[in-house]
Parts: sequence; C-alpha cells; structure tokens
Amino acid sequence: MDLKTVMEYEAMVKFNLPGSEREWIAEKASMLEESFNELSKVDTDGVEPLVSVLNFNSALREDVSVRLVSRDEILANSPDQYDGYFQVPRTIE
Amino acid sequence: MEYEVVMGLEVHVELATESKLFCSCSAKFGAEANENVCPACAGMPGMLPAVNKRAIELGIIAGLLTNCEITRTITFDKKNYFYPDLPTGYQITQLYAPICRNGFVEIETGAGKKKIRIKQIHIEEDAGKLVHDYRTGSSLVDFNRAGVPLVEIVSQPDFRSSDEVIAYLEKLRALFSFAGVSDCRMQEGSMRCDVNISVRKAGSKELGVRTEIKNLNSLKAIARAIEYETDRHISAIETGCEELVQETRRWDDNSGETYPMRNKEDATDYRYFPNPEILPVHISEEWISEVKSGIPELPHEKYERLTKEYGLSDYDSKLITGSKNISDIFDRTMEYVNNPKEVANWIIGDLASIAREENVPGDEIRIDCEKFGKVIKMVENRVINRTIGKKVLQLVFREDMDPEIYVRENRLGMIADTGYLEDLVREVIAANEKSVLEYKAGNQKVISFFMGQIMKRTQGKADPAAVNSILKKMLS
Amino acid sequence: MDREFFASRYETKTDNSFALDDNIMVRGGLTTAGSKMLQNFVSPLQATVVDRLLDAGMELAGKTKIDELAIPTVSEDIFATLSGAAGAVSEGLCKIALCNDVSGKNRRQAPAKGLYYIHPTYGTVSRFGLVPAVSSMDQLGVVCRDIDDGFNVLGIIAGHDEKDFTTFPEKSYSYAPKEGPFRIGIPVNVMEAADEESGNSVNEFAGRLGAEKFELKYFEVLPQVMYILSCAEIGNNTSRYDGIKFGYRTENYSGLNDLYTNTRTEGFRPDMKLATIIGAFVLSKKNYEAYYLKSMKIRRLLREHADELFSRFDAVVMPLRLKDPEPYRNMALYAFATLCGLPSVSIPFGSCGLQLIAQARNENILYGICKGAVKDGI
Repeated sequence: MDLKTVMEYEAMVKFNLPGSEREWIAEKASMLEESFNELSKVDTDGVEPLVSVLNFNSALREDVSVRLVSRDEILANSPDQYDGYFQVPRTIE
Repeated sequence: MEYEVVMGLEVHVELATESKLFCSCSAKFGAEANENVCPACAGMPGMLPAVNKRAIELGIIAGLLTNCEITRTITFDKKNYFYPDLPTGYQITQLYAPICRNGFVEIETGAGKKKIRIKQIHIEEDAGKLVHDYRTGSSLVDFNRAGVPLVEIVSQPDFRSSDEVIAYLEKLRALFSFAGVSDCRMQEGSMRCDVNISVRKAGSKELGVRTEIKNLNSLKAIARAIEYETDRHISAIETGCEELVQETRRWDDNSGETYPMRNKEDATDYRYFPNPEILPVHISEEWISEVKSGIPELPHEKYERLTKEYGLSDYDSKLITGSKNISDIFDRTMEYVNNPKEVANWIIGDLASIAREENVPGDEIRIDCEKFGKVIKMVENRVINRTIGKKVLQLVFREDMDPEIYVRENRLGMIADTGYLEDLVREVIAANEKSVLEYKAGNQKVISFFMGQIMKRTQGKADPAAVNSILKKMLS
Repeated sequence: MDREFFASRYETKTDNSFALDDNIMVRGGLTTAGSKMLQNFVSPLQATVVDRLLDAGMELAGKTKIDELAIPTVSEDIFATLSGAAGAVSEGLCKIALCNDVSGKNRRQAPAKGLYYIHPTYGTVSRFGLVPAVSSMDQLGVVCRDIDDGFNVLGIIAGHDEKDFTTFPEKSYSYAPKEGPFRIGIPVNVMEAADEESGNSVNEFAGRLGAEKFELKYFEVLPQVMYILSCAEIGNNTSRYDGIKFGYRTENYSGLNDLYTNTRTEGFRPDMKLATIIGAFVLSKKNYEAYYLKSMKIRRLLREHADELFSRFDAVVMPLRLKDPEPYRNMALYAFATLCGLPSVSIPFGSCGLQLIAQARNENILYGICKGAVKDGI
C-alpha cells in the first residue's frame, strides 16, 4: 500500500496522520496485504458467508416508547453544547 | 427534435411507530431538541439494537399496498460515512435482503392509467437534524430524529412526466396514510423524494446522462425542479453550453435552479457490510396474513362503500376519501350522526368553507366530532335552523365550545310558532306594498327579500320552511 | 500496586469482590476502555453483568486497566504487559475479574499467574454495557483463582438479557462439572508451531488424560481471517468517537473536518489507527470480495470444521504460545474459539498452562475436565 492510498483511507475514516505515522501504516498495511492474499488459496466455492455464530432469528421488540435517560444525562458528557443541542463548527451543504 | 424525459424516484417515508427502529425512544415529531434521545441514538457505546416489531409490520404493509413480494428472511447492514447528524458514524439499512421487491403502483393522470414498477422497498433508520446558527457560525445537532424508522421506496425509471410523478406521490400518500403506515407529510419531512432524471431523444432506447435532484420539499418544488432540470439537460444536449455529468444536484426553491452538491455522493465508498448485532428477522406466512387482515380501509375500498352502501355521489366520495384527515372526521362524526348524506354535506359544504375562511388546509382541520355531531343533530331536529347551525359550527371550530350550551345561553332556538310567524309576515307584507306588487307581477326574487326581512326581525332564527310556506300562502 | 492494575478503584469491605475491565460500564463512574478517546466518559448506563453481581451480594473492587478498547493488535505486543484483571486477581485485590477477551490476552496470561480464565460460548453473557470491540466475537469471561468461584460467577452473570437480543433464550445457567472420561483432541499442526515450554505443558496433559491427534484446518490463515473481520468491526464500532457527543475533543480545529480528523488522530493509539485503516481497506468496494467476504466464508468453513471435530472429541487442547513471538501469528491460537463463538478455559497446568476448547454450550465439559482430570496436575 502506498502513501497515496493510505491517505485515501485516512479521508474515509477521518484521520490526518503525521508523516511518520502514515509511513508506518503504509509499511504495516503492505505486509498485511501480502498476508491477506494467502486467503485466495482456500477454496470457498459455494460457501455461505457467516455473519453471526448464533443460529436463531432476531427477537422483536413491542412498539412502546420508554424514556431511558434524561436530556441532561445525554448532554452531560458533551464537549460543546448550546441550548440543548450538540454544537459543532458550521457544516457545508 | 423531440425529447423524452425518463425519471426514477427514491421516496423516503417515516413510519408511524411510537418508538424508534432499534431503541425505545419516542419517534414522535415536535419534541424539544434531544428530548427523545437515549445513549444508543446519541452514539454512545454499550447498547444493542432491538428491532421494533411494528416497524417491520408497517414495512410489510407498505409492500402489500404496492403489490411487492415480501422477503421471508430479512437482514440489516451497516453503511459507513461521517456527518454530524449520524451519531454512530454509520446508518443501519438494508442492502442485501430488503423487505420488499418487484411491486407496482397504478396511477392515473390526464393521459390515462399507468403502472409504475417498484424495484424494492427497504427499512432503514433516519439521521438526526442539523440547524444552522447564523449568529455564531456553528451548526447545532438534534438527535430526536436519529433512529426513527424509514422505508425507502425505489421505483424503476418508469416516469415520463412530472404529472406522473405527482400522481404517484399522491397515490403513495393516500395508500400509506389510510393504512396507517405514515402520515406522509412533506412539510414535516415524513415523506421525502429524490428524483433521478435523464433526457433522451424520443424513440431512443438508450438512457441519457442521469442526475439526481435532492432537497425537494413540496409537490410544487418537485414539478418546478423537474421542469428546470429537463430544460437544463435539453439545453446542454442541443447547444453544448455545459457538460452533463452524472452527479447529485440540490434544488434551490428561491432561485428556481439546481446546483451541484459539494460532496460527490457517487464517489463515496460506503463500505457496506452485514450487521452482526442484528440477527435475521423471519417473516412468516401467518404474520403476513395477520398484518394484511389488520390493514384499515383503503381509499378505493372506502370510495366503494360510500357510493354503493351510502349512495353518496362520486364527487363527494372522492373528496372524503382524498384525505385521511377528512375521512377520519367523516367516520368519527358518523358515530354521533348516523346519516351519511347529511354528514357529507356538512363536511363538504359548511366545514370546508369555514376552514377556507380560517385559512386551514384540509389535512389540518381539527374539530371535536362529538360537538360537530351535536350541531348537525340540532339542525336535523329543528332545534336551530341551518344558517344558525353554520354560525354555531364556526364557533365550535374556532373556540371548541359546547354547541348545546351556547344555543341555550344565547337563545338561538328556531322560531317555528305559526301564529307568531304569520303575524310577522303580515307586518312585513303591509310595510312593503311595492314589493308585493312586484311579486304579483312575476318577480320571484321578492320572496328572498321578504325572507331576509323576516330573518332580520328574528335575528336569523325563524324556520325558513315555515316562513316560506306562510309567505306563499299570504302572497297568493 | 493498585495503580498498576486499576484504572479506578472502589472501596470494599469483604473479599467477595469483583473487578471489571474498564470497558464494562458502571453507572456514574468512568469507563475509559483504555483509550484517550473515552478518558472522561461517564456512562449513564450500567452493564447487566454488574447489576447481576451486585444483586448477588458481591462488591465492586474497581475497573482494571486494559489495552486500548481491548482490541487484538499487530504491532504493539499486548502480550508483553500483564493484563490488569490477571494482575488484580493474582494479587488478591479482588476475587474474580470480568474481561472481554477477543485478543486472547487473558487466556494467554492467566495460567502464568496461577489463574484460570473462563471464556464462555458467544451468546451466554449479556454484552449490554460493554464498550464493543468486535461485536460478532465479544464475550465477557471470568479470571479466577478458584475454578469453582469462576463457574459460580459465570452462573450469576450468564443468562438471557432482554436488553441484548444476541443472548440465548435460557433465563439462567447453573454450571456443574461433567463426569469423564473425556475424549481430548490434540492439534498436531499447532503443536509443531508451539514454543517449547508451552508445548511441554500440553504434551504432559495429553499424556495424562490421553489425547487423539488431529489437524486443525485453516490454522495457517486464522491470523488473516481474525484480523480482517476484527478490523472491519472495530473500525465501525469506533466511528462514533468523533469529539462531538462525548469523549475526547481536539483543541486544534477550525472547521468540522479537522474537528473530526484531529480528534480521531490524537485520540487513538497507532494500533487502533492501523486497525481502522485496515478495516476500511478490507470493506472497500475494491477489496470487499477478496478479503471481507472471503473471511466470512472461511469463518463458516471453520465453524463447520469445529462441528465435525466436536463430534469426535469432547474438548480440544491448545498451547498458549507459539515459537514465533509475533502477536499477529499468535492470534491464531485464540482465533479458533473466538471466531466460532466456542467456550474455552485456560488452566494453570504444568509450567506454562494450556487452553481447552469445547463445542458451543459445553462449558460443563470444560468444568469437568478442570475438576476431575486436572486437579492433580496443578
């Protein structure tokens, strides 16, 4: 994986790595990529992907509204709030 | 050169559930910012998604109403992207096994009937809301809407005119609102529509460059945007003044134009993967049957009943079944007044004109139907006359006071005493010899003049039928 | 000593106490999950397991230190530092400790301190109130000095939770050691790669109980499968950490985008960032089929292989360390149980200890082996 590609993934996951870290990631990712390519040796023709090891279906919740916590508790940990809202720098449409 | 416009629609509809899709927070509109929020829908770790049974049922109903195949085992997937209104940095949606597939909706426009094919319907969670604070230059995030269940209805590119698009949206709204799936209010955001549009030469089989239009907040905006974008495409094709690219554009209602959106949505890699926290939901035949039998009366079914059972006119029946709100008012008032023709007349005539005067659109008419019923009954039982009845109804609409008490306190009871009325008529005739002569000369309109005089003297409370017959007798 | 193992400490009056890794929530207290991102996070929720232990009369001794978000790592050798939970229990600072052992660290390290680690079947214990690492693999297990204490605690915390739809329907469990004799399997290909001391402990055990040889299929690709699947889920479970709603926020930002990027670049350690990038990499349109989808398929093959193995064996024994010290390679030792959601117990047998893995929901077999067959060898 080259540095340009690492930067593409950084943009996807909202990182902005310092140069040395980016290089380190590129190095590790390249080794891992090589290792991942070993998977092609395993024959998985006709195999269903496994998403969960559990073999039962989902339960369903009755449609009742319940208040779990107060608004104050929700906002208590926020780094920046205003008038009951979470506040962030201006988003651009 | 003749051109054909080809369009497909993606319609998002908020499901009318009490609670959100994966947590028990209230899904109701209108609460103060972040009141209907829990750690899960505020993006905090530690909670696990719990699928809302009613949301699945409403998804099934949406599929049944649109003639879709209902998928028997559905799963949920994660769609990854960053935006402040998305608390967890991913949206739970359905990519691999949507709840409904391959349906259609029948529409009717001036050009005739047509089937619009539905590619699929899937269930997903809504994002929160961003409010922009112009004073401070910041954006404010409210997660009340985050996690509210939506269905997205994806059509095939079967639309050929904005009339068809409008008819389709109105049909979806009629079906879904009557069936209780959603109230489908564009102004409140419970129904949203994106249009995919391309233009090609008439007769061509190939599709032109496709653009997507977002931020369409009313049916009017949709019609205008389609017209604008069609012209823009044709202009680009014919003159080459601009290059048409596949992109997402934003409609600006103020300027009446579309603009390319800053973040190129087509380029975003959403890194979808199956959600391991939500196990497959199995939809059995029995459940589908149960849900189907629970669907309330649909507009066309109600139209049949109103015309065939109650003998209401086509016009009246169409009006009543054209709006869930009006239809509900009709039903509720019928609980108090078992006379469909009377109730229909009062709604379509008197109530509608009162609402128009007060500038209240049909969907927003709110009235206590028991009180409404009382007014109708008082007129029916000749306690008050029709004109007084309408005035009382206006007061019930505005102030919600009890009509029986009001009539009593203000002594609005109908005057039907024959002796009293005869004396009154004699007085009026005596005072207006000229008019009597005009009547005898053949001018029928004089009766109205006399009626008006009688009404004036009785503060509008006289029984018009009785007065009419006395007048006719005395003037002959 | 407390500071060495504990992120936060609570006062206890008795020795009937439990510690929680700091990714398990206690209402009103800090849950940092070993990450700067959550350094100031006070949860309004409490984990179900905590409610159950408190209701059973146990006392909370504290929150033990963990590696960032308890994720499996590739570069930093998480196996080189002692797990806070193992340290606290071994020093007698609490009777037992609860952990999410996706990385295998507790399974690897408990025996060296003379302790057991019980890793239950996926779906046994509620994950409500656990800061998730890898949702399809996370499971809370027990570090204990006394195996009966461990299974007693498991019996308290296990059982259906209506707040976690991924728990089995059984309301409660009561564990009791199953009677032998047991058919034990020993994976020859794994043993070949094991380090000497670790291999000796396993051979001693196999010699004492008798064990039949088998080949553990897909062993060579377990690191890849484990890491690919883990990174995708880890990256996704941590995309909520953005400095907007709670947790760390950078002081250095002028607009929304650098609020995101600086918060997330500053708030995570290198291995976490590597896992996030790899997660995006394996889920990207270009690579999804070759890496993520492929790994999900191999996971199914592995699960089918496990079913086949456990039709022949009651339990399978595995070493705790490979000759190759690389954390990535050693992942393979713990991945089999973790990927298949199988229960396992690490026991302080011989000089190095070993792990035993059984079929899903067969904790009692593992309990039985610990009690009946092994008690002499510890």
